[in-house]
Amino acid sequence: MTPGHVKAADQNLACCSTCGRVAQVSLGRCPRCGTHLHLRKPASIQTTMALMAAAMALYIPSHLLPIMTVMELGEVTHNTIIGGMMSFWRSGAYPIAIVIFTASILIPLVKILALSWLCAAATGRVKPSPTMLGKIYWVTELLGRWSMVDIFVVGIMVSLMQLGNYMTITPGVGALAFAGVVVLTMFAALSFEPRLLWDRLDELPAVPLPTPIKPLS
Amino acid sequence: MSSWPQPTNDRRYSACHFCDTLHESLPVAEGKAAHCIRCGAVLYQNRRASLVRVTAFSLAALLLMVLVHVFPFLTMDAATLRRNLTLLGAATALMSENAQLLGVAIVLFTVLVPVLIISGMIYVCGPLMIGRSAPGARTVAKWMYRLEPWNMVEVFLLGVLVSLMKLAKVAEVHFGIGFWAFAGVMLCMATAVASIDRGELWDRLEVAKP
Repeated sequence: MTPGHVKAADQNLACCSTCGRVAQVSLGRCPRCGTHLHLRKPASIQTTMALMAAAMALYIPSHLLPIMTVMELGEVTHNTIIGGMMSFWRSGAYPIAIVIFTASILIPLVKILALSWLCAAATGRVKPSPTMLGKIYWVTELLGRWSMVDIFVVGIMVSLMQLGNYMTITPGVGALAFAGVVVLTMFAALSFEPRLLWDRLDELPAVPLPTPIKPLS
Repeated sequence: MSSWPQPTNDRRYSACHFCDTLHESLPVAEGKAAHCIRCGAVLYQNRRASLVRVTAFSLAALLLMVLVHVFPFLTMDAATLRRNLTLLGAATALMSENAQLLGVAIVLFTVLVPVLIISGMIYVCGPLMIGRSAPGARTVAKWMYRLEPWNMVEVFLLGVLVSLMKLAKVAEVHFGIGFWAFAGVMLCMATAVASIDRGELWDRLEVAKP
């Protein structure tokens, strides 16, 4: 612990995860909002890793299985997420192709990698660089929801394209798997405990202060 | 300008949600923020005219939400057929095509969660303007903050734009009033949520008369 800084947990004080009230952890529940008090989220790393393993297991079928099936004039084509992106790219709609690539392929992967790395840092397997860790966690929390865009596209296309024999679109299993990936990685980010990163840092000797001291303004 | 009313029963502390460093809570002036002395993260901030802004933008968002369900998002003309897209229409289409879970997800993330957050903010922050707390306001506020990550209004709007690009090849598509109303819901909700700090809301709830 750096001199001059006291951790709430060292005083047996818990910061309520819902309302931010600092209270004795022995109270059990927050005196202000009634949420269960913990010094740290219980079994945070295990929960995060388990949810991510499930997300990774679904990630592969979500890209291999069709997210929607198009029946156009009796001709049936199965569309995958990557296939949809490629057809935008080939037809010259580069911005949309990049949006789909980022939201559906890149963000879930980056999220899984970043959270694994944060878990490794929290258990001391990699040496943490504290200025970056905060930004990484913030990004994983912020970006996750945008991956849902492809699920919404499936919903919109299915709803509009009910034109009988001319063109009919039905949702595929891949969409369900992909929605699972998004929801699981969101829960994984929520169950991660960023304070563990700083607990780990305090155990290391002679770590310089990550940022200059800012006065209360 | 002064700080919001703070409970005075004992010495107040805040802990940084990121590095858990303990601070004594000091009042901050309007428009200012308190930062963690160790990692620099924002501990709490005093937003200008917070309660008025939350209530006003939430009411606007709720009114726009009504328009979203009355008017179509997109209108499509393809081969003498005209089809309209609505939010609930997209969800029911998925449900009738054997993808019930996806339909439920759409209703949850784009209708139910936003409406619950918006009405929660009106219910909690409206009475707080005259220093009162509505019955069960603390429970409502608790669930409001828990539901916040699951609000996907802006993601659905991006989905509408992507679909528009996909459909442009096969049909003539027009934006409807529903689309613009939903864009309004997104802006009003984002402004309302950003108008009040979590610490301020809970401090005000703690000192409010029932």
